[in-house]
Amino acid sequence: MSESVIRVDGLRKSFGGPPVLDGVSFEVRKGETFALLGRNGAGKTTTIRILLGLLKPDRGSVEVAGSDPQVHPLAVRSRVGYLAEDQAMYEWMTPVELCRFLQPFYPTWDAGLTDKLLDRFELPRQTRIEHLSKGQTVKLGLAVALAYRPEIAILDDPALGLDPIARKEFNRDLIDWLQAEGRTVIYSSHLLDEVETVADRVAILDAGRIVRLEQTDVLRERVQRIVLPIETARLLPRPDGLLDLRQHADHVEVVVDGIDAFLRDLAQVGIEGEPAELTLDEIFAAFVIGRPKGWPEAASPVIAR
Amino acid sequence: MLLHIQKGSSTPISRQIRDQIREQCLSGVLKPGDRLPSVRELARELAVNVNTVFRVYERLASEQLIELRHGDGTYVLPPPGGDDAGLAEQRGRFESEFDQLIHRGLLLGLTPADLKARLNRALRSAARAAK
Repeated sequence: MSESVIRVDGLRKSFGGPPVLDGVSFEVRKGETFALLGRNGAGKTTTIRILLGLLKPDRGSVEVAGSDPQVHPLAVRSRVGYLAEDQAMYEWMTPVELCRFLQPFYPTWDAGLTDKLLDRFELPRQTRIEHLSKGQTVKLGLAVALAYRPEIAILDDPALGLDPIARKEFNRDLIDWLQAEGRTVIYSSHLLDEVETVADRVAILDAGRIVRLEQTDVLRERVQRIVLPIETARLLPRPDGLLDLRQHADHVEVVVDGIDAFLRDLAQVGIEGEPAELTLDEIFAAFVIGRPKGWPEAASPVIAR
Repeated sequence: MLLHIQKGSSTPISRQIRDQIREQCLSGVLKPGDRLPSVRELARELAVNVNTVFRVYERLASEQLIELRHGDGTYVLPPPGGDDAGLAEQRGRFESEFDQLIHRGLLLGLTPADLKARLNRALRSAARAAK
């Protein structure tokens, strides 16, 4: 596998209260599209701000494009394109003015590319930013983040506030301008259906911890749901990787991370299970709000006659 | 090439793409020698991860349905074995999936009339999409 361009190890961060990040570790490989998934408050934005050197972690280490963002913030920022969650742009400027304003800050700024991006994204050049639509503002943010040809793009919930059509267009641009160019992309989202189409790997972040990090395809293969008669469940040990268990009157509904092993257990007691695939949304929910407590106990032994 | 990707489905995106291309190869909608869009073109068109499309093409190539000619493009191959076994198998699988789907619909409380109406709607929209 190719080298990692982002390395995060054991990040902890709190803002006085309970930890916002509680031991977050991951690596992102060169050319990979990596998604951070989580609900609001899970720690996505905090992680991203630490990657950019905008926040200092309480503990843990970070390396972005070979540099520690705390020690060499400028080195990191010149190699990373950043699209903030709610970017406060200079609303009174037009897109062209904004580009002219930003250009001197970036030695690698490519004016020709900027021009092409403004065209491609069909952005009105002489309209003040405050009059642009939400979709246009996000595209302008992306154009600006790409204009200096960064090797890494960090996008904080870019799909937030976009309608489905604009999201699809945005995904297309991301694929065309970043993925197909071999750039590394890390982005956060709470819209799982969007993520599945775009991401190579996903990290599910919950309450400051990564509860699962996996290739999108593999996650979908491993995590499945199965419905069993309660008597069958009683014959089996509690499965490893149990994420959710719902007990109904005469059957149980089970979501397992590692369906193959569970199917083998079932086969051992002579039952052919029929697992159902889940949507990424359902998988996410199983990890974040699933209740894996308990397991149907073996029936009390029948009294010998 | 006409593909229809359903986001948020329980069928992974990669399998949706793979199955649809495979079906089109086996049923003759895509003819031997037809050129498929490049990985990048298809990824862009579907707004789907480039690597996902690449893996789908590789997989279909390993099934000898398509051929990746380096630096040239991707082409549809004649159906493997030259018989209709693959197609028959695909159709068999489709039938069982279809049956399962109907069964699920009934379990969810849809009436046969609902299901028929839904099928008709789907047929109409497929016909429109094919134009």
